[in-house]
Amino acid sequence: MMLSMFILWIAVFLGIFFRQKWVPVLAVVSLVWTLALLRLHMTDPIPLNF
Amino acid sequence: MSIVDRAETAFESGELTIARWINVLALFGLIGVLAGSLFLQFGVGEQPCPLCLVQRSGMIAIAVGPIMNLLWGMRPMHYALSILGAMVGSAGSVRQILLHIEPGDPGYGPAVFGLHLYTWALVTFAIAIVGCAFMLLWTKTFEAGDTGVVDQRGFLRFAAFVGIAWVTIDLLIVGISVVPECGLGMCPDNPADIQGLGGVGGVLMTIAVGAVAVIVAAIADRRMSSKPSESV
Repeated sequence: MMLSMFILWIAVFLGIFFRQKWVPVLAVVSLVWTLALLRLHMTDPIPLNF
Repeated sequence: MSIVDRAETAFESGELTIARWINVLALFGLIGVLAGSLFLQFGVGEQPCPLCLVQRSGMIAIAVGPIMNLLWGMRPMHYALSILGAMVGSAGSVRQILLHIEPGDPGYGPAVFGLHLYTWALVTFAIAIVGCAFMLLWTKTFEAGDTGVVDQRGFLRFAAFVGIAWVTIDLLIVGISVVPECGLGMCPDNPADIQGLGGVGGVLMTIAVGAVAVIVAAIADRRMSSKPSESV
């Protein structure tokens, strides 16, 4: 799963090197996917009593 | 003063060159952070946790802005991408800080100068957001019609290429090293430590990565210089 995050970033970098117009879109998608993976790994409770 | 006049002024005063150098320095700052984390992973043997990988992803996302600024030209959108990357990365940092917020909690991993790496990562993300905001205030650099450093022969282009190559190699190492740790599934919350290369081995690995980046940059710089259409 985490590998997919870095594969997306490698694709973003390749897009930058080849001046592709979709780079900003893919960068935002990569960020959203990073957030989704962060959410998937939020398994432990934060030890605070709000 | 028209936009064209202001753009010419930006070129003549060297403001664009200063902005480019700031982007190069930002890249090398990120390289320092990424190299430090790779040293801990391969030198000391500390495998990165899932939240650490999210923060590494944030660091790489920050680098996208300066790389696009240097290769494509200065644009506000590039700084915006860096800010978004810093915000996503800081979400991982804040989450990890809160997990170890209780008094007496030793925290995760080693501390550097009294702060754990995820706290330093949050400091880095905050600096990146503030830095990008200040660069966005510098509107003259966006009106200069910048097309990047590729056609600008000189040390700045070489330094930019070294920074870009180094970040790219670090990204490849981080990505490939995820496979033995996590496979294709979810990463373990507390990954077991591995046999590291040791302090000297870790430093040598960092130097080797830097040397490869310099060689790649030199080859790219040479190829750009030999292009007949170059405007010097």
